[in-house]
Amino acid sequence: MLAIRFTRISAAAFVALGSAILLGDGPAQAQDVLKVGAPLPLTGPLSPEGLKQKRGYDLWAEAANAKGGIKAGGKTYKVEIIYTDYASNTPRAVQSAERMITEDKVQFLFAPFGSGATKAASAISEKYRIPMLAPSASSQEIFDRGFKYIFSTLTGNETVSEPIAKLVAAKSKNIKRVAVLARNDLFPLAVAQEFEKAVKAQGMEVVTSERYTIGAMDHSAAVTKMRSANPDWVYASGYINDLILIRKQMNDLGLKAQVITMIAGPAYAEFANTVGPLAENITSMSWWHPAVRYKGADVFGSTEAFNAAYAKKYGGEADYIEAGSAACGAILQMAIEKAGTIEPTKVRDAIAATDADTFYGHARFNAGGQINALQPPVFQLVGGKPVLLWPDAIKTGELRLMPK
Amino acid sequence: MRTWLVLFVIVLLLAMLPLVGDNYLLRLATTVCMYAVLAQSWNFIGGLAGYPSFATAAFFGIGAYTSAIMQNYGAPIVLGWGSAGLVAMIFAAFIGGAILHLRGHYFAIASLVLAEMLREIINGMPDFAGGGKGLNLPILPISVTAQAQFFFYAMLGLALVCTATAIVIHRSKLGFSLRCIQQNEDAANILGLNTYAYKTAAFSLSAVFVGFAGAIYASWVSYIEPPDVFDVLISVKPMVMVLLGGLGTIFGPALGALILLAFEEVVWRNFLTLHAAALGLIIVVLILFLPNGVLSLWNDWLPRKKPAR
Amino acid sequence: MIYLQIAANGLVLGGLYACIAVGFSLVWGVLNVINILHGSFIVLGSYVALFAYSYLGIHPFISTVIAGAVLYALGYALQAGIINRVVMAPVLITLTLTFGLDLILNNAMLAAFTADYQAVNLAHPLGVVQLGPVFLPGDRLAAMVLALLLTMLLYRLLRDSRIGRAIVAVRMDRDAAALMGVEVPRINAITFAAGAFMAGAAGALLSIIFPISPLNGPLFLGKAFVVCVLGGLGSVPGAMLGGLVLGVVESFSSYWFGPEHAVTLSFALLLVLLFVRPSGLMGRRGYE
Repeated sequence: MLAIRFTRISAAAFVALGSAILLGDGPAQAQDVLKVGAPLPLTGPLSPEGLKQKRGYDLWAEAANAKGGIKAGGKTYKVEIIYTDYASNTPRAVQSAERMITEDKVQFLFAPFGSGATKAASAISEKYRIPMLAPSASSQEIFDRGFKYIFSTLTGNETVSEPIAKLVAAKSKNIKRVAVLARNDLFPLAVAQEFEKAVKAQGMEVVTSERYTIGAMDHSAAVTKMRSANPDWVYASGYINDLILIRKQMNDLGLKAQVITMIAGPAYAEFANTVGPLAENITSMSWWHPAVRYKGADVFGSTEAFNAAYAKKYGGEADYIEAGSAACGAILQMAIEKAGTIEPTKVRDAIAATDADTFYGHARFNAGGQINALQPPVFQLVGGKPVLLWPDAIKTGELRLMPK
Repeated sequence: MRTWLVLFVIVLLLAMLPLVGDNYLLRLATTVCMYAVLAQSWNFIGGLAGYPSFATAAFFGIGAYTSAIMQNYGAPIVLGWGSAGLVAMIFAAFIGGAILHLRGHYFAIASLVLAEMLREIINGMPDFAGGGKGLNLPILPISVTAQAQFFFYAMLGLALVCTATAIVIHRSKLGFSLRCIQQNEDAANILGLNTYAYKTAAFSLSAVFVGFAGAIYASWVSYIEPPDVFDVLISVKPMVMVLLGGLGTIFGPALGALILLAFEEVVWRNFLTLHAAALGLIIVVLILFLPNGVLSLWNDWLPRKKPAR
Repeated sequence: MIYLQIAANGLVLGGLYACIAVGFSLVWGVLNVINILHGSFIVLGSYVALFAYSYLGIHPFISTVIAGAVLYALGYALQAGIINRVVMAPVLITLTLTFGLDLILNNAMLAAFTADYQAVNLAHPLGVVQLGPVFLPGDRLAAMVLALLLTMLLYRLLRDSRIGRAIVAVRMDRDAAALMGVEVPRINAITFAAGAFMAGAAGALLSIIFPISPLNGPLFLGKAFVVCVLGGLGSVPGAMLGGLVLGVVESFSSYWFGPEHAVTLSFALLLVLLFVRPSGLMGRRGYE
């Protein structure tokens, strides 16, 4: 009796699992569709960023399909992007990547958001030899493992630290004392460490260096400590919510400095809207900015054309994540057209050999897969709008120091 | 004897899965086995002894990090995995001594705090344990399919051992004593039961297999970071699974694991951004209409003689 | 000198923590329900204040009442309609139920408001009060004072009103209260709704301090947990004391050991306290 019961239960269980799998997508579709898988954090803590990436991917897919699709080896492929939501949970991003490769039969992948999830998911793309293009991963730890199938449209963290250090050093000899507050998380921590190296190379002194936990709700102790160190320059790394809170608490506790630098929130238009007047004069950097002007051989053709396409579809201006996501698609498309096939390993070689201009900037990858021909712009928020300070070719203003 | 037979048949059927399934199916099956280990382990302390433990994530994270750190210092994978369960068990025995005198809510909170605290401790150790940057594990130099099979069999084997242990425990003096504790701990104490020792044993049992599972998981995904392996959901899900399957039963936890994963998968595939709400709805409906688990439905369904107890 | 500032930071923060935890503690203590929804309730209160401010120009301090009322209604409906059905079940069942409900509410907020962080930027902020070397942020201070006032109001209501006495009676002995003519299901619903009211009011106050997003729900919930256990379950003064203690401990440990260790230390404190005094700082033994 007992045995029968349990066998029935296990049979029922198998049916349940089987139906779960069958309820997914049907068999692989006709050959003239190019499938790209994009696991994204559409819900959970990273969902604002996940939605940005989706906007960029959609914009590219629309542009590519509007021009008739991608041509390779005498065939024309319509682009189809397959999304899953990994709910900001890294293991689930990894699971999504594997599901897309084995079940949905995607030929290519776009990476999840951020350095951590990209690093985890790249183990899957590497195993299956599927090229994965990442629009939001910049940390060295991802690219020094000798992986061959991961490519990033962000330059290394050092490239967003050195220019601003030089800029500030050139502006004033009196800025010597630097206070650093970093989120204890892969990207924000790595970028803050690069920043400390960069300012020390300019002869400045790091007077305090604090870390806060993910999900910190209060920064008053750190801000108080920074205030007592009397810094000329305050640097904070984290994501937009952290930086909003830090800026507010700096004001609450009377911490002033000649330069306030924050990364990576001010590049989003939401930052200035949410922080209000306190956003004034904050400096930051981003890997791309709508004010840059590049001409390219990609599907968009030029930065102006990309901006116009973005404004038409979503209104407003794109930030570096949205542009970088679209650039992932554009670079993939160029590589497929050059390779003349959608065979993933051949396309991988074509991506690695890319050396071309795009609307996003010059695309060329180093051996680890990181783009290395970009000059990430430095900007300052003035009147709620970014003023570009560097590189000189596109600069629209001079660095403004704040009164102490 | 029949229970053993059922276990044998289930495992045999599952072991043949690689013959028919692709890698993704194997990944799902590996996850089911992992869930089953977590749920079965929680059942020792939560289902049998009636102590609502939220410590599963702590044990899981300890296992994952023990193995990852050892392998990063050059230990072979076998040693890493082996130590993971033992470290988790020793930790549980040690901590259990401190928090098992708490009852009900207070025990729940104390066990919940364990994982949170460990997460922050690991976060604050960048040099030794990678800190917020996480840790890499070596990727096995075998083919993709071989890897999928390897981790599936490893997790299946663990689930088998765990379930076998559960069968033995359920019938042993330990299982009986734990049920006594659940019914009325004070009475059990007065009758001369060393409840403290039994509870500590149950708590340690609920740690050891979870520690192994964490270690296998870490090698499987090859990159871990504190928020993932100390995730509070790792503690909550086993409870939901056991509730789904039936509290304090032998096959309930495994069945609950399967059902939860099936739900997650269906909901996740069909509701791009509303899957959390859909899962929530399922949980609410189950609690309201099926509070004793799916096995109870089965029992009510089949009119049969009351088994002699 | 700097220690004065650190202590002030801690007290102001602690006041906010107390206000996050009071409603949670009430529901837990009286109904024996660990209300996982509490964090999302607070967030919903913040959204009410945000919309009231941006569309109607109502100051968030006034919105505490509006947000509280909205949440009171939602809380009453949830308890009367759903949670009352299983309120006698073991804590695990009710916990899982509120966990499921929270998944729904949080996902609904995400769909309705998106996860983008929003903020109430007051047209006339209160600025910074400077007392010698100590800086006190005006808006935070005002929010904290209001939160403490609300908490004291709740405390008086529990002590002096008929319904308040009924709530306390249910907390002490559900069956005896029922025998004495207390309508337990109704009192349950009112208690849960009162907890939701406090959450909504707290949300309105916090809207001027923290960026607003559904993603903050779990953070608030986590703090409520710790404060509640520190202070003692179901005790209103306990929640206040627990909040202040946690705020001060976090503030000083951040300063001495770095912010990344502050959370660890506050958890360690919690474990030690559980070990030596499981009923919390102000809790009475026997109300498990």
